[in-house]
This record gives sequence, structure tokens and C-alpha cells, in this order.
Amino acid sequence: MTNGWVDIKNTDMMLIMGGNPAENHPCGFKWAVEAKRVRNAKMIVVDPRFTRTAAVADLFAQIRAGSDIACLGGIIRYAIENNRIAKDYLLNYTNASFIVDPKFKLPENDGVFSGFDTEKKSYDRATWNYAGAVAPPPKPGQPPALPPLPEKVEHDPTLQNPNCVYQLLRKHYSTYTPEMVERVTGIPKEQFLKIADLFTSVRKDGDTKKVATIIYAVGWTQHSFGTQIIRTAAMLQLLLGNVGRAGGGVNALRGHSNIQGATDMAGIFDNLPGYLKVPTPADIDFAAWIKRITPTPSKPAQWDSFNYYSNTSKFAVSWLKAMYGDAATKQNGWAFDYLPKVDRNYSWVQLWDNMYNGIIKGVLAFGMNGVAIGPDSQKNIDALKKADWLVVGEIYPDETSEFWKAPGTSQEEMKKIQTTVYRLPCAGFAEKDGTFTNSARWLQWKNAALPMPGDCRLDQAIVAQIFLKVRDLYKKDPGKFPDPILKLTWGYTTPTSPSLAEVLKEINGMTFVDVEDPATKVQLKAGQQLPGFAWLKDDGSTACGNWIYCGAFTEAGNLTARRDPSDPSGLGIHQNWAWSWPANRRVLYNRASCDLDGKPWDASRRQVWWNEAQQKWVGNDVPDFKADSKPADHMGPFIMNPEGVGRIFGPLGAFADGPFPTHYEPIESPVESNLLHPGQLHNPVVKKFKTKDDKFGAPKDYSVICTTYRLTEHYHYWTKNNPMNVQLIPEPFIEVSAEMANEMGIRGGETLKVSSARGSYIAKAMVTKRIKAMQIDGKKVYQIGIPIHQGYRGIAEDEGKNARTLVNLLSPAVFDPNAYTPEFKGFLVKVEKVEKV
Amino acid sequence: MSGQAQHVRPGYVLRYAFHERLWHWVAGFSYIYLLLTGLAFWSPWLFWLAILVGGAPVSRMLHPWIGLIFAVGVLQMYRMWASQMNITQADKDWFASVGHYIQNEDDKMPPAGRYNAGQKSLFWGFFVCMILLLLSGIVMWLPEYIPWSWRYLRYIAVLTHASAALLTIGLFMIHVYMGVFAERGAFGSVIRGEVTLAFAKRFHPRWYEEITGQPTTPRK
Amino acid sequence: MSQATLRVQKISGHAGSVPGEDTQRQYTVAKLIDVTTCIGCKACEVACVEWNDMPFSNTVFDNTYQTMPETRWNYWNLILFNEHEKDDGSLMWLMRKNQCMHCADPGCLEACPSDGAIIQYTNGIVDFQQDKCIGCGYCITGCPFNIPKFNKETKRVYKCTLCTDRVSEGLEPACIKSCPTGCLHFGSKEDMLQLANSRAKQLQEHSNYPNAGVYDPPGVGGTGVIYVLHDITKPEIYGGLPSNPSIPWTVKLWKNPLKWLGNVAMLGGLVGLFVHYLKVGPKAHDEEPDSREGAKP
Repeated sequence: MTNGWVDIKNTDMMLIMGGNPAENHPCGFKWAVEAKRVRNAKMIVVDPRFTRTAAVADLFAQIRAGSDIACLGGIIRYAIENNRIAKDYLLNYTNASFIVDPKFKLPENDGVFSGFDTEKKSYDRATWNYAGAVAPPPKPGQPPALPPLPEKVEHDPTLQNPNCVYQLLRKHYSTYTPEMVERVTGIPKEQFLKIADLFTSVRKDGDTKKVATIIYAVGWTQHSFGTQIIRTAAMLQLLLGNVGRAGGGVNALRGHSNIQGATDMAGIFDNLPGYLKVPTPADIDFAAWIKRITPTPSKPAQWDSFNYYSNTSKFAVSWLKAMYGDAATKQNGWAFDYLPKVDRNYSWVQLWDNMYNGIIKGVLAFGMNGVAIGPDSQKNIDALKKADWLVVGEIYPDETSEFWKAPGTSQEEMKKIQTTVYRLPCAGFAEKDGTFTNSARWLQWKNAALPMPGDCRLDQAIVAQIFLKVRDLYKKDPGKFPDPILKLTWGYTTPTSPSLAEVLKEINGMTFVDVEDPATKVQLKAGQQLPGFAWLKDDGSTACGNWIYCGAFTEAGNLTARRDPSDPSGLGIHQNWAWSWPANRRVLYNRASCDLDGKPWDASRRQVWWNEAQQKWVGNDVPDFKADSKPADHMGPFIMNPEGVGRIFGPLGAFADGPFPTHYEPIESPVESNLLHPGQLHNPVVKKFKTKDDKFGAPKDYSVICTTYRLTEHYHYWTKNNPMNVQLIPEPFIEVSAEMANEMGIRGGETLKVSSARGSYIAKAMVTKRIKAMQIDGKKVYQIGIPIHQGYRGIAEDEGKNARTLVNLLSPAVFDPNAYTPEFKGFLVKVEKVEKV
Repeated sequence: MSGQAQHVRPGYVLRYAFHERLWHWVAGFSYIYLLLTGLAFWSPWLFWLAILVGGAPVSRMLHPWIGLIFAVGVLQMYRMWASQMNITQADKDWFASVGHYIQNEDDKMPPAGRYNAGQKSLFWGFFVCMILLLLSGIVMWLPEYIPWSWRYLRYIAVLTHASAALLTIGLFMIHVYMGVFAERGAFGSVIRGEVTLAFAKRFHPRWYEEITGQPTTPRK
Repeated sequence: MSQATLRVQKISGHAGSVPGEDTQRQYTVAKLIDVTTCIGCKACEVACVEWNDMPFSNTVFDNTYQTMPETRWNYWNLILFNEHEKDDGSLMWLMRKNQCMHCADPGCLEACPSDGAIIQYTNGIVDFQQDKCIGCGYCITGCPFNIPKFNKETKRVYKCTLCTDRVSEGLEPACIKSCPTGCLHFGSKEDMLQLANSRAKQLQEHSNYPNAGVYDPPGVGGTGVIYVLHDITKPEIYGGLPSNPSIPWTVKLWKNPLKWLGNVAMLGGLVGLFVHYLKVGPKAHDEEPDSREGAKP
């Protein structure tokens, strides 16, 4: 989230799309309800079905799963046409006025941007740049490098230049008319206009006081263009001037209680902790790597840009020092050679494909039920059959650890499976201490509430003991290059089970030498914890496991364990409750909450402001900005971008599939021609796998759109082992619209079989009025929805009380080309009645 | 009906055979239990009665079962005596003269058969009330099986059961008074079964005529 | 809490006065349920089961998100779901938290024949005392809200206690504590009514619910559980909430007029028969002289 949970109570207007927070984040959702109750804030819900969130909303529209860009693009067009934009904000805090390379071409009928290679199915993004960029001279023997962003950017403050970002934006979304929105999304024109009018009403008649927020979750991310959906929302929010403001922002509701922590700590192949970019084989040394990943400022000459990523080398060196300690020296490029160079896609779905093709031999699965979570569960089951070994660390026997006896596996097949399966009993969340980082970026320390039962061990103990054993093996038999293993720092008091408090201290970072901060005169002794990332150096004198977490555990102690609820401003900032990254700032980009002179747009919700007397930025929140940058210097609020401003146009390598989002159909779609770009149905850079388990269905055979989701009463696949949850929702079901049920003669409770090109799912029908038939470009289309929570192992499953099928037997293994999230939320199926199983 | 199988003392005649007496007491004793427990459920002032006969939850549990026994008893008496309980013109005349009956001026009453109109009223009263009590009783026995959409059955049942019970209490009071206090010799008729000839002649002259073949007072 | 305390103001099946009646300076408590902000998350259902340590039930799929059709002896708090289509074709998905309403004039207490099986505290909470319950189920008939439920094994009836054990220690009921959206509130009846009315007004003025109102049915004297509804004119759409609930008239008739009529009649009958015996005496027949007729040896 750019903002936070409690901050939602400050809003005047909420658009909740691609998310169902009442269902899946009921506790966080209290803040949305609070906004309604206390501020009369309005709530708009757009979703493929009428959800629990919609039940308390002011306005609801049902949308065809996967057509969100069309809807949001339509709202952008509406905002522009009706002058519902934050003019000053747009001009000064975004790249709306920047002039774009004249060779850049918007997608038209062909549906692709300039630079598309139809054979490689990828883009040469050189034209996706501001005007005036100069390519560096090509190095011999190397492919021509992309021209970087130009240092000086031309801009047109009148926003009239046809090549300026704003005019390109306007042109691009000019086809997203209300009529088009209706044809593509199925939202009736009048309903769409009500929504567009209500949401953009915060900027009606030049109002700059009101704020709107956009709240989303995996309804947006789980598409083959998911990143671009979120981009569209971000652009809309920049147009409306809502980013950086209390009650505004672009707010992702993370799913798992610590998934934010996982992504912050780089639980993904193409990042290092703190979202640093991984080195690739082309980075021949540390310097080359740093040069590539460190942006240089790119902006109009009169403006200023903090470009905080210019400090990348400090973050990188400090991280390498934390990893390799004394083994990382200036001479050896800070142990740069110890890092694996990421040469291709190692994303989650790709890994299972690699396993399927025999490339990956073994899997350690910790609290990750890969078979159930899919996509394309059968492919994952078949992949595991080919692996040599599987280690499952879990609190209960899950589908993954029992893949070898998945329903449909014959006795002969089982005998042929050679995979050795190890089951390690792990501790549950209430039995572990450590921090969870929530959607609001708050790191909250928790203590263990219960002792672990039986033979369970802590996750860190298991990982540590595996590492130490591996290290011993490498000591005995070094092989070609054991240094990355042998030289890894492991200085914990109990090496076999490191205390997480020690690990958090290590993540925070420390200084190896005595040091003084010239500005504040604060002094640190060698070995002391660093107060924040401003203290990080690239001379090897600091170590830090994750620069964005620097400040969480200082000499003052474990700040993540603070529990002071006081909130003097009433804005829900709670400065002394836990610790929020970065630097305990609660709302990101909060400089943008003030006008050019440093005065808050809305005096009743003052977050930060320029204090003329003290000549610095002060406030109720920590300013997310250079503290002493005078407003007159025109430094951009978006300090992590090289431009210093928000990107309405996403240049160069920012996105794999376009600097502007545009509507594409899901990989399996009932629509046979993309109404917005007849020449390109799907996201052109999405790849499809080619195994026998990767089949795709055509609309004539599979005419029903299927989306999958979660219920309040269950949490993924583990609560089917808990009698309380099973009591609340005892059986799997399929939500079917009353009209479709009527047509097919289905009554509630009858057993249905839903099939995709990949597999089948059997459960009882829930006939409901909450999903209606849709008219997509004049054709009637049905959508069904399936909660994911049952599988082939659980209380009811073990008693044979349901069909023991997994929903993700249906979903396709295709994913978003930027974030690699699979397309769980819009694929094709057919529905049949079957005899009770 | 007079069965001659049982030995009867001289001067006596058999009014009730063994099986008739038995069923009467099956119904009678079960009724007394139902009365005691029923009164306990009826009024907080009499709640202690339930404790006296085994405790309140036990009483609640047994009351319906004893009620079934009572119903069977009354049903048996119906089978035994219903044919003798038809209301005739003589009964209507008897009702018209009931004032004499209350004043014990039995000689002024139109002659009764085996059963006089009052007794017939008791019979039918108990029979009808038994049915009402049985039906409403079943609803009140198992209220948790009556679904919410059929709750009107429960509402009707509570009123019917109490009202029918009150009716039977009135009948019972009169019945016990008559049988134990007011008509000497009547109690013996349901214990030993026999009554004196004088008893028969005075209170049930038509029945006396049938079983002895002798006329009583000249018919009016 | 037993009835041997002044905090009890009404006792079922009780002969005589109630020791604690009108002896306490205590305000009545109320639970406010704002149906318009309920998301049906069932945290309150779980909290109730957990606080009261109730054994789990077998449930089955019934074409709804609702956990089970009605409350049970071991499930006192249940969200009722209803997909309601308005006249303009738009949909409302209504979720109403259903549990004992703790009526000021409880039908269960009125109907109960067992002394002390149902008591009402001075704070308004209506509590079943299962040790005094005889399992007759009259309370099931007396309740206009279909709340008391029978356990076939123990032969007793059970329902929501408004967490009287928590309330008497100054804590809010378990359901209130667990509600994540703050749709449940607890406090004095007066405060809750005020909160409810202002919320209803807010709904009328800002949320396009002109018929928003507070459900506090006068037919049972008002209730310890009050609802804010989007549409007070149609309570039945909220899982069959009765529009004008009161104790069934046959129960009222049975327990009051009929009671007195019957008692007078029975007593009168006994007295009358005794007087008859005194005055008129037994009947005579020929061999037995009537002792009143002249003085014969």
C-alpha cells in the first residue's frame, strides 16, 4: 500500500475493485466502514459478483472478469473529458507534461506499441522514452544498449504538445467510451457513468480538498496483464492527485499475513532485499552492475529530483557486507562474484515447468502448498512425480506432501513414482516469534503465544541446520567455487537456531567503525545499530540486510515491538506503534499532500508541511522527502523515480508490455476479437508453456467464464483441517447465477462438474442472485465463481464427504509478464450436472 | 351387560365385570398422576406437587407417557361402554330434572338405565377431552420437532390442553364426589363390581328391570 | 448467576414476590447491531462458540453462506443471509445477526412453569438456569423469535446468555469484542438507542435509505438487542425478523386470564361440593335410611 490500513478512515471516496476486503480482510475493512460512518465516505465496488463488500457499498457494478483495464481506462477518459483532474498536481508532480520520443507509437488496431518483435514476442523498448534520449555508443561484441532516460527532459506546461504524455494519454483512452466500456466489460452504460461520476467527483469544480482511494487485491494481480491493471489505477490516482494524501493512494491488500515481508526480503527471483535488481550475466563486475541498476536523474532542467535510488551502491554494498562480512572487500567488488547471475525467468510458475521438464530435481516447500495453489494443479502433481525429492515443512499433511496419492492416481502409477518425500513438522504462526510486515508496511513484532507441540521445529532452525550441514559438506568437498557458501556470515549466538531478534538486528544493519552524522552531530560507536538508511555507506563501513528495513532495530531497541497507540493528529498515523518502512513513514510520497508552496491541499488532514521558520519539512507523519528541500526548488515528491515525479507514462524497462496499459483479453476468453485492438487479442508478451498439461480451451467448447476466490470462513488450504472452520462452511460449492441455473435446470445443492481444458472440479451448486448473466458486445455470457478452499486432504475429505477435487485443476499456467502472477481470475470452463459423487 | 361368571353375594348384583373395573382404574390412577403433575405445571403455587411425585424434570418426562396410558384406558372404556352411552329422550328428560337430582330427590327423577344422563355426560366429556389432551399433548411433548412455520400448532396446543384439562378436572371432581361421597355403594361397584339390589332399583331402575326381569315403580 | 441475589427482577414459574424486584439502581444493557455495516464474517459466531466452549456441530451445504438454518442448543448466535431484490431490480445481500433478543417482556419466562428456570436480571438480561429447567419446551412456544433450542440428551433448553458472565465482570459480550467492523456495540439501552437513532438518521440523509430505522419492538416491551435496519418497514427481509412481535396471545391467555378463571373454578368446585355435602348430604336408597329423614333408631 502507498498508504495504510488505518489511513483508510480518512478517505472521502473508495473504489474497491479486484478485491473483496469485507470477505478477506475483515479486520482491515473496519477502517473503510469507519470512513463511511464518521465521514460519510462513499464506497464503490466493481466485481464479477456481488460480494460481501458490495453488501455494504453505496454503488455496485458487476464486471466481466478480466476487463478491468477497459473500465478504468473509461474512467480516465471520463476524468479528462469532464475536467475532473488535479491540474497543479498533474503538472508538477507527474510526467504528464513530459514530451515523449516522437518515434513512440500507441497501439491501434494492431494492439501493440512500437518496437514489437512478432517472432520473439517481446518489445524493443528504445522508443518508450522521453524525447531527446541519446543511445550510448555500442560496445564491441555487445548488443546495442538501450538509450537511458535523458538527463534533461523537455516538457510542455500547457499540456498541448501532441507528443506530451498527457495528450498521448488522452489519445490512447479516447476509444474507451462509455459505449465501448459497456460492450467490453458488460457494465451497462448508465451504471458505468454513475461510477465514473461518483469516483471523480472528488475533483469536481476544481475541488482539491477531497480525497479518493483505490483498494485492490488479487482480483487485479491474478491476470496475464495484472500489473497493467494496477498501473491504470495508479495513473487514474495521479490524474486525480490522490497519491501521497491521507485517505488516498493506491492500496494493495496483501493476502498472507507476511507476504509483504516476503516480497520486501526478496522472496522472488528477480529482486534482492529492498527491491534491488538482481545481477544478470551481462553485469561483468560490481561496477557494471551498479551502473546498470542505479538510475540517473531525468527531468525538466528547472526541477529538482532526489532520485533516491542514486544511493543504490550504498544499499548494495551494505547488503553484501551483511551477507559476506569480511569476505566482501573493495578489492573483490564486495564479493559480487558470489552472487548468482539471473539469466532467465525463475518465477514460481516457471519453476514448476522446470521441474516438469526434469531441470529441477528437488523442492523445499515451506508452508507452500504448491499442488493446491496451482495454477494447473495436475501439471504440478506431474512435475513432482518427476522430481527426485520433495521436502514439505508444514503444520499438517497437505496436498503437496501427498501428491503421489492424488485422486486419479492409479496403483501402478504410484508404484512408479520415485520421488522421496520428507515431511518436517513445523511450528504454527502462534508458536513463532518474529515480525510480520502487513499491507501497510508496518513491521510488527510478535511473541510466541504457545509452545510448539511434539517434534515440531522452528523454520529458522530447520533452514539453519540444513545450511550448516551443506556448509560442512562443502568444507569437505569444496568443488569449483565454494566461497559463496563457506564465506556466508553466520554469526548468530545459536547457529543451529538463530534468534529472530538477532536476525532483525542484522537486517537493520550496523556500523563497523565509529562515525558521526555531519548534519545532526549524532555519533555511533563501532558495532552499534544504524538509526536509518541515510547512514548507509558504500565504503564497506556499514552492513545492512535490507535497506528499507534500516531503522527497525536501532540502539533504542526493537522498534517493531512498540505498542503505543497514541495518535495525536487523529489521522491514524500511530507513529509509535511498531515501525513502518521506509523510515517509519506511514503514507508514502506524502510531500504530494501539499501544494507547490508546501501547504497541505486539505488543512483538516495535515500530514506534512513546509515550515518556513525551521526551513524544513515537518509534520504529523515523517516526511517522505528531502527534509530541507525548499518548495521553490521544485523537487518532485516521487523520490524513488529518477524523474522525481509520478509516472503516467512508464518509460523503458519499467514494464514488459507497455508504457500505457491497454485492454487485452484473458488468455482464455469468450470474446473472439479484442474490441479495442482487433489485431491483438491477448497480451502479446505472455508466453504459453507447451507440455501436455498445458492445454487451452476454445470458447465453442468452454463458453463459461470462471473466476476463483476466497471466503472469510476459510484460509487457503489449511483451515479444512480445523473443525471450527469446517463447521462454518462444510462443503465446497460453485456459485452459479440464478439465470444460468434456470436455463440448465440446476437447483441449489445439486452436484455440478466444472471442466476446463486442463481438468475437472466437482462440487455442489450454489444458485445465487449475486452473479448475473452479462451482455458482452451483444452476446450473453455467463460467469461462475468457485471458492478455492477444499482439496483432497482435510477433515471432510478424509471422511469422503466431498469429491476431493482441487479448484486449480481448472486454472491455466499463464502469468503476468511483469510480476509473474498466474491468471487465476478469468479462464474458460463448461458446466454439467452430474450424479452425486 | 351383566356377566354371571363372577360370584356375587346374595342381595347383590354384578354391575361391573373385572375387565371393566381394571380399565377404569388404569385410567383413574393414571389420571391422578396426570392431575398432580399437570397442576404443578399449571400453577407456580402448586409446583411443589411435581417434586412430591418424583421431581420436576422426572414429572415432565413421565407426564406424557402416563398420558398415553390414560388415553389407552379411556379408549378401552369407549370400546366397552360407548354403545350404552347413546343420549336418548330419557336422558334429555333427566337433564331437565337435574335440580331434583342435586337435592337428592331421586324418586322424582325420570328412570335411568344402566347409565344416567349425568354419567353419560361424564363418559363423553372424558372421551372428547382425552382426544383433545392427547393431540395437544403430543405437540407439547415434542415442541422441538414442530418447525417454526408450524408454530401455530403449539399456540393452539397450549390453550387446548389447559382448557381440556380444566374441563376434566371439573368432571373428575364431580365424579369422585358422586362415587365416593354422594352415592354410597357406588365406590364398591368399581372395586368388587357388585351393588345392592336396592342401589340398582333406586338409581338405575331401567337397568334393574333388565337384569332382574322385575318391574320397579310403575312407568310414568 | 443464581437467583439468590437482588440482581434478579423476574423469575419464571414463581409463586409469590421476587426478592430483587425493583430493588436495584441499575440501568438496562443493550446490544446494538448495525445491520448496515455487517459483513457477515461470522467472527461473532465463532466468538460465541469459543467463549461458551460449545461442541462443534455437523453442518451441511444448503445453498447459502449461512452456517445452519436456525440456532441450535450449541449454536446460539447465527448470521442469517438473504439475497433481497429491491423493487428497482438492484440487489441487497442482507446479513442479520440472530440471537436471543432479551425482551423486556420475555415470552419464554412468561410461559415457563418451573420456578427459577428462567430469570431476568435487573440489567435486562434473560438467562436460562438449566439446573431448574424441566425440559417442557413451553419457552419454545412462548418465544416470538424462535430462539430457545432443546438438547435431546440433557433434555434442557439453551440460548444466548448475553454473556452475563462477562457482563457481570464489566466486560463486553464475546460477540461484541470480536466484531471487526465495529458493527456491534454494547452499553446502556439509553446510549445504544441514541447511537442507533443517530445512525438511522445518517443513513436517511447520506446513504439513500429513507426508511432506515431502529428495531426495538414495543410488543415485547422493547428488547435488549436492537437493530439498525436499512428499511424498518420490511423487517421480514432480514431473515424473517417479525414485524410486530409479541408473546403469542394463546400463551398470554393461558398464563393469565385462563389461569385465574381455572383456579377460581377449581377452588369454587371444591368448595361447592363440600358445601353440598354439608347441606344436602349423600343420596339414600331403600335399605339404608337417609340419616336426615326423621330420627330413626
